Amino acid sequence: MSEPKILIVDDEKAFANNIVKLLTKRGYEATAVYDGASAVCIVDEKVFDVIILDIKMPGMDGIATLKEIKKKGIKSEIVILTGHGSIETGTEGIRLGAFDFVMKPITIDDLLDKIYQAYRRRIIEQGRTGYIPPQKKRTCT
Amino acid sequence: MFEKLKLFKRKKQDDRTYARDNLSDLFRFKYSCFKMLLDSNAEFLKVISDIEEKLQGQQVFGMSYVRSRSAKAVFHALRMVKNLDDLSGHRYSSLFETFEKINSNINEIIKKKKEDLPSENILPYSVITAEMADWVGGKNANLGEVLNKAGLPIPNGFAVAIRAFKSFMLKTGLFDQVSKKKMEIDPDNPETLITISEDIRKLIISTKLPPELEEAIMLAYANLVESAAAINTSGSSFMVSMRSSAIGEDGELSAAGQYLSKLNVPKEQIISAYKEIAASLYTPHAISYRLNKGIRDEDIGMSVGCLQMVESVASGVMYSRNPLNLLEKNIIITAVLGLGPYAVSGVITPDSYIVDRDGQIVSAEISQKTVKLVCKPDGGLMEVLVADDFRHKPCLLPEHIRILAEYAQKLENHYGCSQDIEWALDAKGNISILQSRPLRAEQFGKTIPITPVLTAYPLLIEKGMTVSGGVGIGPAFLVASDDDLLNFPEGSVLIARHSSPKLVMAMKKAKAIVTDIGNIAGHMASLAREFAVPTIVNANVATTTIPSGMEITVDAYSGRVYQGRVTELESFQNTGQFPMKNTPVYNILREVSDWVVPLNLMDARSPNFTPASCKSLHDISRLVHEFSYSEMFQLSDFVSDRKGIAFKLKCAIPLDLYVIDLGGGLTENNQDFKDIHPDKIASVPFKALLNGILHEDFHQTQLRPIEFKGFMSVMREQMLSPPSVVERFGDRSYALISDKYLNFSSRVGYHYSILDTYCSQTVNMNYITFSFKGGAADDTRKNRRVRAIALILQASDFAVEVTGDKVDARYQKHEKTLIEQKLDMLGRLLQFTRQMDMLMTNEASVDALSKNFLAGKYNLE
Repeated sequence: MSEPKILIVDDEKAFANNIVKLLTKRGYEATAVYDGASAVCIVDEKVFDVIILDIKMPGMDGIATLKEIKKKGIKSEIVILTGHGSIETGTEGIRLGAFDFVMKPITIDDLLDKIYQAYRRRIIEQGRTGYIPPQKKRTCT
Repeated sequence: MFEKLKLFKRKKQDDRTYARDNLSDLFRFKYSCFKMLLDSNAEFLKVISDIEEKLQGQQVFGMSYVRSRSAKAVFHALRMVKNLDDLSGHRYSSLFETFEKINSNINEIIKKKKEDLPSENILPYSVITAEMADWVGGKNANLGEVLNKAGLPIPNGFAVAIRAFKSFMLKTGLFDQVSKKKMEIDPDNPETLITISEDIRKLIISTKLPPELEEAIMLAYANLVESAAAINTSGSSFMVSMRSSAIGEDGELSAAGQYLSKLNVPKEQIISAYKEIAASLYTPHAISYRLNKGIRDEDIGMSVGCLQMVESVASGVMYSRNPLNLLEKNIIITAVLGLGPYAVSGVITPDSYIVDRDGQIVSAEISQKTVKLVCKPDGGLMEVLVADDFRHKPCLLPEHIRILAEYAQKLENHYGCSQDIEWALDAKGNISILQSRPLRAEQFGKTIPITPVLTAYPLLIEKGMTVSGGVGIGPAFLVASDDDLLNFPEGSVLIARHSSPKLVMAMKKAKAIVTDIGNIAGHMASLAREFAVPTIVNANVATTTIPSGMEITVDAYSGRVYQGRVTELESFQNTGQFPMKNTPVYNILREVSDWVVPLNLMDARSPNFTPASCKSLHDISRLVHEFSYSEMFQLSDFVSDRKGIAFKLKCAIPLDLYVIDLGGGLTENNQDFKDIHPDKIASVPFKALLNGILHEDFHQTQLRPIEFKGFMSVMREQMLSPPSVVERFGDRSYALISDKYLNFSSRVGYHYSILDTYCSQTVNMNYITFSFKGGAADDTRKNRRVRAIALILQASDFAVEVTGDKVDARYQKHEKTLIEQKLDMLGRLLQFTRQMDMLMTNEASVDALSKNFLAGKYNLE
């Protein structure tokens, strides 16, 4: 079994890079992008098991990004992470198919737990629906 | 050859690890869904009790409260639905539709109420009432209510509205800067909280107010000076007191005096005092409180009350009733010389007066007052010595006391409950009210006796736990079955062994409810508060000491039940009027709560216990909660055909028991283990169960001498029994464990049982469900055995149901230690039942065996 592939989408670069470092250390394959548009692009190129999505980002916000990703039929599990999003955002996110909604600040152990929970769901859902082929490659403009 | 063997061994080990990973992923996933569901259920129930409390109409709240609470209820209900759907492999998708329907109804009601925020930054108290809590915070709204609705004097002044605070935070960019700063808090390192809190407060204090805001505050101050000029002849600088009045869900913090207030503030310090008070929203305590509760910064705000400084000659606190004895109608007044802070801080002992309803002094204790707090001429406060002549003199004249007593009663009547009031007396003899709030004597779950024991009446229950306060008088009616509930006579007091939401069928007819066992945060408790039925749980002996028909008085303030009609308590049967009731905000909450709070699905066995019958979010949460138990219960179904994924438990007695760790269930987790020793178990519930299973009395267990008749019956049953049961459960016992969870399926002897339990510090999440079925021996014997087991479980306070040869039992929402005790008992019971049905030769054995077990006699010979 290959290592879990995680995408972090957060405009706070320091935070995103820090999480990537921590996840890599624990044997995950982690990638960070810093805005919604890049997230929407990169999911066409690469299959991720879990996407950690910040809500408040300049440009395309987290909910819009979530909508776009879901529109493409991407099956990654999406965890919404927010510093100052409302609980209404959480409801909206789950209705749009997000796995869960967590508030910052969060201890690194709790975040890893949440990522692992989402990853398990991904494995189990795959088992149920069969193998999910990687998405067709497209070039981002 | 040796190398090959080693390779083979490694391959086998790899396979084992792989299978273990796969299966444990499934279990762990299901378990994590279950845990999220339980978390959300606990949060959901908290929201419900909170809304119910507000619906009583005594506390002020605004639309922001209605919005935030309904959003929270909606989120947790949806999260529960989602997790049940995941847990079950998507068998409950229809619940999403039910949820959406209810959610859209809630949204529509909330949308109806437009955002009618005022356009003013400043509101004089003369226009403020209780329902403006969203604009000026709870404390200011209450003070306006005292002036305009209760008609009592308060100092002149104005409130700097929440709107001003928001514009300060937004226009200056403070809001973004504060949010960013807060991100730097590292939850793993609490010291960062203190330094960041300091940074944020410094930032707020050093930021300049938007000029129009500063002008508006200073203009309001000028107007205040002008209007007071006629009466203020002192010529000194006109001072104000500035009081924090926060909005948002942190009412508890306001009540606990966590935010700053400043007294005797001169003109030139008003703006900086305003900023200091605003900054007090970000003390380390306040920040961590909001982080823990998930309250976002958008939903908080600080209004500041600016009141003419009363240079009081005396001040203090009064209670409209004795908080420790509601029966006593006297008013308690405490007073100090000078300014109020010393009245509450305990620096000096205040004078204390007990005054009757007519304002006559019943008793007075005059203390020696050596110091007092007064205003400094240039602002701030100072302590001065009290002149010798005044040290032993009372702070108040009889005339002042009479007026205070009158004010206390007016406030109590206005708010419909006892009040805790701050007041001040100026040099001219004028008394002002500075604050009035409900006197919180009765607290759910912590029964502090606030009525004395009335010795003239036989005391039947001495120490129950209050779920819903009040007094109820009527004939007792014992409810032991559904039929009893249907036939419940109007105006009786409901007595039951367990608390259960099913009791709601009779709740509207009941004067009061008393149960032997129950919990203060469960569904029934919430219903009792909703219907305002005085309710006591954990009365232990109510069903055994109170016969049906006996007239009793339930004093749910103090957790007591008396025989007869206690006339002294009669007047507490009804409560008064409530200021929030029928305000527009209250009505919106009422409408929203109709979709959130009512519980219609009482009985899990009813054919209507379906997603389609859910009419409220509470129904959804109840249904999901119930269904999640059975989903977890069935976990054992996944186990039997998967070999090589579990650790075998090595212990002293012959048990083919395998352990699967879902996380934190073992002290160390080494995938290469094949066996596991009981001392490696970290799971709290499994440890407790094993304790019972491995009880020393069972160590010597030999096969019991079996009567020939019994033996034949067992043999016959073995040959006739359908193979499915055996296949499904295999011959092994399985324990799926985590630190707080256990799912235990076992075949011991010829019967099987499933036990599912959660055992944590959170009482509301704890439960045990236990099911026992089958066994060798013929149907009559099986039935005798399950009845014996049912008797034992009933005596151990489980809710029990027997159908044929199956017994289902549940014990839930109890303290961790109690859950552990019951699990230990179940462990012993499982061992005890191993050979039980061989001995079930006659009816008398049902009683005899259960009595033996309960007496700790496990030897069946």
